Amino acid sequence: MTAALEVQVAGICQLTPVVREFTLVPVDGILPSFSCGSHVQVHIEAGGRTLRNAYSLLGDPADRDHYRIAVRLQEASRGGSRFMHEQLSVGDRLRLSPPANLFAPHSRARHHVLIAGGIGITPFLSYIAELQAKGASFELHYAYRAGLTDAYLASLRQRLGERLHGYDSLQGQRLDMGRLLARQKLGTHAYVCGPQSLLDCVREQAAMLGWPQSSLHWEAFAAPEPGAAFSVTLTSNGRQIDVPADSSLLETLEAHDVELPNLCRGGVCGQCATGYSSGEVEHRDSYLAPAERATTLMPCVSRGRCGSALTLNL
Amino acid sequence: MTSDTASHKHSTPVYAEAPSPVPCQQRIMLAQDASHAEVARFVEAMQALQQPVTLVGLTGRAPHAVQQEIVSDRASLGQRLTVLLDDAPLCTRLHVSGDEAFLWHCHALAQAAGLADEQIELIRLGQRRHLYCVHCSCLQEIAEEGEATCQDCGVRLLVREHFSRRLGAYMGVCLDACDPRGEGRP
Ligand code: FES
Repeated sequence: MTAALEVQVAGICQLTPVVREFTLVPVDGILPSFSCGSHVQVHIEAGGRTLRNAYSLLGDPADRDHYRIAVRLQEASRGGSRFMHEQLSVGDRLRLSPPANLFAPHSRARHHVLIAGGIGITPFLSYIAELQAKGASFELHYAYRAGLTDAYLASLRQRLGERLHGYDSLQGQRLDMGRLLARQKLGTHAYVCGPQSLLDCVREQAAMLGWPQSSLHWEAFAAPEPGAAFSVTLTSNGRQIDVPADSSLLETLEAHDVELPNLCRGGVCGQCATGYSSGEVEHRDSYLAPAERATTLMPCVSRGRCGSALTLNL
Repeated sequence: MTSDTASHKHSTPVYAEAPSPVPCQQRIMLAQDASHAEVARFVEAMQALQQPVTLVGLTGRAPHAVQQEIVSDRASLGQRLTVLLDDAPLCTRLHVSGDEAFLWHCHALAQAAGLADEQIELIRLGQRRHLYCVHCSCLQEIAEEGEATCQDCGVRLLVREHFSRRLGAYMGVCLDACDPRGEGRP
C-alpha cells in the first residue's frame, strides 16, 4: 500500500446546515497532484476503530499546496461524517490515502452532461475547473434541497450561467431524466454522482433508450451498509476474525493488520476482490459477474450471511 | 465507473446473424451491395422493430420500401456517413454489411465519427480479407488462402490468424526468413 499522507486542517467552512468544507494542508512538503474526478480516503478514528471514508477533491487540480473536501452529515452515519462535523477542528491532523481516480471525464467526448444530486456535486467542482480551462462543451444538472443540500449553488450560478440547470425539490422542480438523455447527440458522455436513487433512475432511463454503456459514468462511493455479525477464517494461518455488525469486512481485516488493495470501498472498482472457499456470502457489489460470486467476494461491501463462517483465501 | 463491454482488440471478430433487438433512436445500414438477399433480410428485421432505418449502398438497390441512397465510391460513403452521424442522436445503431475489408473500413470511419464499438453491428458477406504485411505495412486483399506474396515488397507471407481490428486485417509474416522472396538460394 502507498504510504498515507499526513495533513492538517487549515480551514473549516459550514456551507449549509449539513455540509462542511475542509481545507487540508500538508504537514510537510507538497501534496501529490490529482486529476479531476479524483477522491481521497480520509482515515477517521471514531468509536475506537478506523473508518476510511472516500471524499472527492474539490477545486482546481492545479493547486498543489492544499486539498479541499466537503462532507455531508449523514443521519445514518456510522460515525465518520459525525466525527468530521462535530469533532474535527482547525489545527487537527488527519491521514489520507493518496488521490485515486475512478471517475475521470472521457477524453474524446464532444459534450459532457454532469448530473449531481446533493453532495454529489463535489467531484464536478474539479471537472468544471478543467472543462472550463479546456473550453470543452458541457452542462450541469444539479438536484438539491434549497438551504440544505445546495452547497456551491450560488457560485456555480455565477460561473456557469445558462449551463447550470438547478432543480429544487422544495419547489417540486424535477429533472426529467428521460428527456435529458433522449436529446443528447452522438459523442456525448454523461456522469452521475449522487444518491443511489438518482443513479438507478439514470441507469434505468439510459437502458430504456439504448444508451451505449460506455457513454455513462458514475461515481459510486457510499459507506458500507451495516448487516449482521459473522466471522471469517484466514486460510494461510488459520486465524479467526469476528466482523461486527456495523463494520465492513474490509475495515475489520484492516483493523487486524490484513491490508488489501482497495480504491472505491464501494463495491465497484474490483481492487479488493478476495477468494473464499466456504461459507454463505451476501454479495452487495456491482463488480463481480454472477458466476464469479461462487468463489470471489468484495470485502469492502459484501458480508457473510448472518452467523455464517467464511473461509477466505488470505 | 463505466461498465465497459470488454472488447478483444485482436481476437478473430464475431459477426452479426440478425440485428440485435435493442432499443435505439435510429438505425443506419451501410451496404457494400444493397441488393444482397442478406441486406433485405436485415432491413426487414429492423423494420419489424419499428425503428427508423436509413440504408446507404455502394452498389445495388434494396427491393424494399426503405429510405435508401446510393453513393458512388468508398470516399463518398465515408463523407455521407460523417454527415449522417454528425447530428445523430446518441442512441444510433450502425449496421454494416459486406466483405471483411469493407466492414472494418466502415467500422473505423464510424468510430472516428463518435460511435462506440457496442453500437456497431457487422454482417460479413463474401470471403475477401485484408492482409497486412508486417514488413512493409502494405495492405492487400486476399481470399481464404493461407499464404500470399506481398504486392509491395515481394516477400512471401504466411497469413496468421491474428486479426487487427484497427487495421481490419490479418497479419502477414515472412514465411521463410532464409528465403524471404521464395526465389530459392543460389
Ligand atoms: S475497494 Fe473497490 S470494489 Fe472493493
